[in-house]
Amino acid sequence: MTVKFNYPLAMIAFRQLFNRKRQTFLTLLGISVGVMVLITAVSLMDGLLQSFIQKIVEIAPHVIVSGEKVKPTVPDQLVDSDSSTQVRMIKNVSRSDQEVIKNYPRVETLIKSDSLVELVSPSVSIDVIGMFGTVSQPIQLFGIIPSLENGIEKFSQNMVSGKFDELEKTPDGILLGSTVAKDLTAKTEDRMQLVSPSGKVYSVRVVGIFMTGINDIDDNCYVNMRLGQNIGGFSPDETSNLYIRVKDLPKDGIVARTIEQVTNYKAETWEQKAASVVALFKMMSGIVYFLVFFVILVAGFGVANVLITNVLEKARDIAIMKSLGFKRSEITLIYMLQGTMVALVGAAIGCLLGFVMIEILSSIPMVSSSASAIRTDRLLMGKNPVYFVAASLFALIVSLIAAVGPSRNAAKVNPVEILRGER
Amino acid sequence: MDDPIIKLEHVSKELIMKNGREEIVTTILPDISLDIRRGEFTSITGPSGSGKTTLLYLIGGLDKPTSGNAFLDGEEISSMDEEQLAEIRNAKLGFVYQFHFLLPEFNALENVMMPMLARGRVPVNEAKKRAAELLTQLGLPDKLHNKPNQLSGGQQQRVAVARALANNPIVILADEPTGNLDSKSAEVIYRLFTKLNEETGQTIVVVTHDEHFASETKRLVHILDGQIDSDKKLR
Ligand SMILES: Nc1ncnc2c1ncn2[C@@H]1O[C@H](COP(=O)(O)OP(=O)(O)O)[C@@H](O)[C@H]1O
Ligand SMILES: [Mg+2]
Repeated sequence: MTVKFNYPLAMIAFRQLFNRKRQTFLTLLGISVGVMVLITAVSLMDGLLQSFIQKIVEIAPHVIVSGEKVKPTVPDQLVDSDSSTQVRMIKNVSRSDQEVIKNYPRVETLIKSDSLVELVSPSVSIDVIGMFGTVSQPIQLFGIIPSLENGIEKFSQNMVSGKFDELEKTPDGILLGSTVAKDLTAKTEDRMQLVSPSGKVYSVRVVGIFMTGINDIDDNCYVNMRLGQNIGGFSPDETSNLYIRVKDLPKDGIVARTIEQVTNYKAETWEQKAASVVALFKMMSGIVYFLVFFVILVAGFGVANVLITNVLEKARDIAIMKSLGFKRSEITLIYMLQGTMVALVGAAIGCLLGFVMIEILSSIPMVSSSASAIRTDRLLMGKNPVYFVAASLFALIVSLIAAVGPSRNAAKVNPVEILRGER
Repeated sequence: MDDPIIKLEHVSKELIMKNGREEIVTTILPDISLDIRRGEFTSITGPSGSGKTTLLYLIGGLDKPTSGNAFLDGEEISSMDEEQLAEIRNAKLGFVYQFHFLLPEFNALENVMMPMLARGRVPVNEAKKRAAELLTQLGLPDKLHNKPNQLSGGQQQRVAVARALANNPIVILADEPTGNLDSKSAEVIYRLFTKLNEETGQTIVVVTHDEHFASETKRLVHILDGQIDSDKKLR
């Protein structure tokens, strides 16, 4: 032993552990593996959730305003002042096919007056049938003002082919999501047909194909606002939605509430929209953590085991130390220290293994699946120091709890009984 | 100083053993009163099972009497709790047992340092210095870094004595310290006690079977069936 004799309690603790190399090693292994599995699991679950959220935040509207009224009884205040109330009522009732935002430029101006709002982009949504050659299939079509909507959905960064700028310049242009393009086998510069809800056929030209990785978005297609309004039967000042990016994301809730108050149109935050997906992630994480919890629990039993053995085997030494004047608290501390030492070393090794594990897993190429919410070519592993700290703390707490029983038993050793009986 | 450093007043020790539902009470020491003055070198003899170890543990605060009062250095130790007794043992007493009872994971030096380091009583460097001095005085200057299992029986027992002396106790209690030693090693230990008593004036109580050694001490107490059979002042 080359370790210097410094603080006796720590040294006694350390030497006893060191003298039981094999058992101590197995205990360390248990804790290391537990910590590693925990870190890896947290990294995986959190990585998925975080990258999902990040993607959404990056390319999805933070707030979506729809034509639905918050309080249906309140008269529409946004209709031009010269139209009479009666006319308005009839108009409202007759438009039963779709909830729309009327006179949206005024609504837009109102919303923009909020300094928290960065960008407002109108978007009409229409269910159409897309046809290319012999293939036809339903498409979710959006009419947008490309330069505005690009500020939200970042198409220009996600183009697979063609140029996004072409859309604005091409009145009959259409931008295809990668999934749709694949299903229709359409390519950039191809001409295809759209069948409107009223049965009219429109011929459009593919100006580009984009892929965001979020399947919900890659299922969509985009045309210019004017064309979208035509296909959907909207008048020029009507839109289905207003998409909003806020300057300070955590304040999206405030923005949404303000919009609802000022415009009486329903405004939903992305958190509300994504709530079910996030909840699913959380539930999956919960199950994984629950399983990992048992791994650590088993490691805790290992700690208890090595300590119980030490206390039993070292009853004589404990009796000697007590006869020399060591107090109960000091004896307790020796074994709590043993638990701490095993936990800390085990956690350190576990953190190292966890780090390596994350590196390995995140470098394995993956076949992307359209079934998942997001699509990547690699496992999305989170790399947050918090995982390591949290997993280590957890292992430490479990180890300390496991150490309490044996440590107390050690302190209870009656020196007289042991010293008399020892030969 | 005339007040006794060790004083037992009608001390008794009973053991209650449970045998199924029955409780069997064994009286080990029925009623012992004993005064030992400061600086006295006392040997306790008696047949095996007569209660010598029990008596020594009561004197040293390792065990508590069933009735009666025990005093050490003017303090009543029979009414102290476990933690107070631990403090007294550490500060005022040095124990040597029949078996060396050294900690196997630590070398001679570290074993001697132990009582000094309990609760950080003495800084590590100082403790190390004193431990080395003690071991050198006891003739083990070249064995400081040997583990107990690398020492002979006599050397182990000398380390144990050094450990008992570590905190400069006012009373040294030894329970058959030479019971496992050859006569030559035993002689070394005996001379050590005599020298300590003469030079430092430490009070020493030794339980022994060795008639010759007992006759060399200043006072000889003979125990029979838990009672003082004879108490002779030798010099
Ligand atoms: N813990 C114990 N359990 C049972 N018997 C005991 C215990 N301690 C002491 N005794 C009994 O008490 C008596 C005195 O023991 P002890 O003080 O060790 O005597 P000695 O040291 O003179 O040999 C013996 O008969 C012994 O068997
Ligand atoms: Mg005995």
